Amino acid sequence: MSSYALFKKDLASELRTRYAINSLVMFIVVTISVILFSIGNEKISDFLSGGLFWVVIFFSAMSGLSRAFVSEEERGTTLTLQLIASPTTIFSGKLLFNLILVFAMNIVIALLYSALFEAFVIKNLSLFLYAFILGNIGIAIASTLIASIIAKASSKGTLYPVLSFPILLPLMLTLIDLTKQAMDTTTFSSSYVELAILGCYDVVMIAVSFMLFDFIWKD
Amino acid sequence: MIWKIVLFLLIAFVSIAGITFPIVAKPEHWYEFPLIMGLGENAKIIFFHVPTAWLTVIAFLMSTVYSIKYLRNKDLVDDIKAHSAAQLGMVFCILATITGAVWAKFAWGSYWSWDPRQTSIFALLLIYGALFALRSAVEVEEKRAALSAVYSIIAFVTVPFFIFIMPRIMRGLHPGSADDTNAGTVVNFKMNGNMQLIFFLSLIGFTILYYWMWYVGYKSMLYKEKLNKQYH
Amino acid sequence: MLEEFLSKNAIYIVMIIVLIVWAGVFGFLFALNNRIKHIEKEIEGDKGK
Repeated sequence: MSSYALFKKDLASELRTRYAINSLVMFIVVTISVILFSIGNEKISDFLSGGLFWVVIFFSAMSGLSRAFVSEEERGTTLTLQLIASPTTIFSGKLLFNLILVFAMNIVIALLYSALFEAFVIKNLSLFLYAFILGNIGIAIASTLIASIIAKASSKGTLYPVLSFPILLPLMLTLIDLTKQAMDTTTFSSSYVELAILGCYDVVMIAVSFMLFDFIWKD
Repeated sequence: MIWKIVLFLLIAFVSIAGITFPIVAKPEHWYEFPLIMGLGENAKIIFFHVPTAWLTVIAFLMSTVYSIKYLRNKDLVDDIKAHSAAQLGMVFCILATITGAVWAKFAWGSYWSWDPRQTSIFALLLIYGALFALRSAVEVEEKRAALSAVYSIIAFVTVPFFIFIMPRIMRGLHPGSADDTNAGTVVNFKMNGNMQLIFFLSLIGFTILYYWMWYVGYKSMLYKEKLNKQYH
Repeated sequence: MLEEFLSKNAIYIVMIIVLIVWAGVFGFLFALNNRIKHIEKEIEGDKGK
């Protein structure tokens, strides 16, 4: 069984129930409207709106991405999966699905956010796009790995944000910093270090994930 | 036995010297510390604050090493060793946070100002907390050991970013930050010989103390597990 | 005499408190270590029989 087949299976079951998509859309709407309510008629600074953008993304990711492995445990299909596919295949299949989910979710958030917040104006669009893409990849990898840990623990819902936040923190800090730079200037020269950090984070995370997934999956 | 006495005397000496040696503008005697601009008397907390931060990292490193060992050999003793190190790391992490906050209040004017190093110790605190939350959520021993080992390795690969990269590329208040014009690392910034000597004695003393505490903690957990298995 | 000295040099009071705390921590750890050794002997001794 190839990882693409696993991805297609996940996509088919997702499209049948639309559980993750529905809850994600509702979560995005709820988070953004809560922020809009709390701002009211106040003027917020550019930097704050850039930071809040990643807050929305973080919490939406926390609600939608934990399903990847929990759903297998709930349906009791974990053993079957273990029999028909190798851990690497399973992880890359799940990662592919989560990547698509993260990109879809974050593009929707970015469009909604830039339409609703006047202060959120990106001057350096290509820098923001690089940061956005690298950041999304990092979020997808880290959250898939944490999701596989969660599926084996007993208190699944509450533990996910607790475990993910420290791991995602360096990514989030760099992304907030880069967003601020993309809103401030149109030059690239000052942002190479941050972009390199994002790239390193993605590479390190994917290497660690493939190394450690065996130990999580086979118990 | 002998090294326990040595340890007692060492930390007693560091406390006496670190607290009572006077800070003067031009040190002439061996027992006088130089005046560091902007710090004054409260520079003395460096003998206690830096060792706790150092031990936080050491404990984390040790916990990860034993986690890797556990994943290789599946020996539950290694898991107990890693857990014992993580517990101590949490204790020293809290101590480092508190001493750092108190020092920051008097040196920089506020308890907490999200300096990069403060952010990184906060992240370490979160990581330790998450590790214990994960441990309490899994009941099967082998599963708990494997999952917490995996998590502490994942956390360890993100930690170098906090401890070593971020404080140096971002602007901050700690020595060694990107905008620090003194251009020194934490250790050799404007200390003279006797201050450095006491600083390193303090580091050594606290490291031995950590090792002893870790040993006692690990042995007590080990025997608790053994007795549990005997009577159930 | 001593009180006058201490009220002028409050740092010595800090030092004394720190030393007392350290002695307490050390004593506690020492006692704990001995207790653990005792238990260790008991458990390992049981295996010998």
